[in-house]
Amino acid sequence: MGIRLYEEPKVENPVLIASWPGIGNIGIIAVNYLRQMVKAREFGEIEPWDFFEPRRVLIEGGLLKELEFPSSKFYFQRTKNRDLIFFVGEQQPTESGTPYPGGRKVLEIANLVLDVALKFGCRRVYVSGAALAPIHHMARPRVWAVPNSESLVSEVKSYENTVLMSDVEGRGGQGSITGLNGLLLGVAKKRGLEAVCVLGEIPFYLQGLAMVYPKASKSVLEVLTKVLEIGIDFSVLDKMVAQVEQGIGHLEAQFYEQAPPEVAERIKTWLESFKHKPAESRPITEEDQKWLKEHIDELFKRGGEEDDRPL
Amino acid sequence: MTDLFRFSRQPEFRNPSLIVGFSEDAGRLAPKVIDYLNEKIKGDSFCEIEPSEFFSLGGVAVEDNVAQFPDGRFYCGERDDLVIFKGSEPRFGRYQFLQTVLDVAQHHCRIKELYTISGTISSIAHTTPRSILTVFNQPEFQEKLRGYGLENMNWEGWPALNSLLLWVAERRNIPGVSLWPVIPFYLAAVDDSEAQKRVLEFLDKRFGLGIDFSDIDEEVAKQNEKIAQLRVRSPEVDDYVQRLESNLTLTEEESERLAREVEEFLK
Repeated sequence: MGIRLYEEPKVENPVLIASWPGIGNIGIIAVNYLRQMVKAREFGEIEPWDFFEPRRVLIEGGLLKELEFPSSKFYFQRTKNRDLIFFVGEQQPTESGTPYPGGRKVLEIANLVLDVALKFGCRRVYVSGAALAPIHHMARPRVWAVPNSESLVSEVKSYENTVLMSDVEGRGGQGSITGLNGLLLGVAKKRGLEAVCVLGEIPFYLQGLAMVYPKASKSVLEVLTKVLEIGIDFSVLDKMVAQVEQGIGHLEAQFYEQAPPEVAERIKTWLESFKHKPAESRPITEEDQKWLKEHIDELFKRGGEEDDRPL
Repeated sequence: MTDLFRFSRQPEFRNPSLIVGFSEDAGRLAPKVIDYLNEKIKGDSFCEIEPSEFFSLGGVAVEDNVAQFPDGRFYCGERDDLVIFKGSEPRFGRYQFLQTVLDVAQHHCRIKELYTISGTISSIAHTTPRSILTVFNQPEFQEKLRGYGLENMNWEGWPALNSLLLWVAERRNIPGVSLWPVIPFYLAAVDDSEAQKRVLEFLDKRFGLGIDFSDIDEEVAKQNEKIAQLRVRSPEVDDYVQRLESNLTLTEEESERLAREVEEFLK
């Protein structure tokens, strides 16, 4: 079990930017987009077989040609203002016997990622994921930032369109980040590395759908590129955002047509209240949230079954 | 973590081959072949894999009214050139499980070759001769076994446990082959004695086991006779089998009905 480096990049005080798949693939889309925009080069990987099941075998003419595992790769690039190391994991290891990330393996993989970061002199880590929030899908998602030390709080507060847990209504500064996108923060803290997790907001009613949500990835990227002083072209991401928004709009329209009028009206009213000013809107009660989620999930799923256009 | 395996005795081997089969298999192929082999070579267990790392031990599963418990054991008999492993498929930690199997086989038994056995379901009739499809992890080994009447497999998709084992063996430079005899789909839930015989014939030839096949021939004849009775009794079953014999396909519903009828009749 271990790390395989194809080359030893010459980098100075690089920043590590890492992500694994999660809700809406917000973090991984952001990190992959940035990686591609700065043309980062692959330089290593974590050997997968101890962590993951193979997902495909290729047998040709009676010979086992290839066994394919989910990848966990490192990339690097030197930009004008900052040297960057990227880590992109295609899958999170799961707890034995469950489909959920956890157990010994997630800790091992987090440590391996940081082994590489430390080897190349990295002192700062950014990791990215999703934050479920009571927002409308037409609203601009905010970024929730969670640092792993108090000394980073004031810095994080200065990020544009960014809130701390304590700024999020009803949270009182408390919360949790599930999976490796959160765990890496803690492991980095233990190993003396500064780390910040930037979570893009996704409307909570979309969490049950197997869809990407690039709008939140864009919010994350706007923060990261500013902090790292990197200029990138957002046009490809903007196209993806427009496509997904159109898909959701289509489902929403279908949903109002099919729902009982009283359910449709209640949901419409609620969604409208969050449309443009998520931070100022009133918090919804837990009871409201449960009711809305049940109905919206059911209706979006129904819409998805009848129209399988990719989101 | 507990020790992953435990020896009850330490037999001596001379360049042995490892034959692996898992308990759950189409046509009960692997467990039947392994049990038959063990009986022939007077095999006895000498090492077992500890289940706690690879199975959920929060209770026991009950199958056909009988409580089950995961098992993974190595066997050997009077011959010093054969090691046999029979086990339940691990619920999790598959890579670690297979590493453990090969740790025992390579470091303690010094195996030179690996053979895995597993049935593959096909839409053939039971009257069709069974072929053995194969997957090798080294072209040299494939060449070495030319002349045994094996057929090459082509496949792309989700990997079976035996494919992963073959891959792990290759990483240790152990030549290996997976034997995949074809099983008529309607015999998948019951015994396929014909396919079992086909694999045993290969192993007999490869290892010079001197197997007297009269008992298994009797099993094959008995099963064929029973299916023939069912065909007489049920024109529908006869029609389905005839169509399969003519290389025609059945609908999903027809296939299910045939499998159910045969299974109920043979059980």
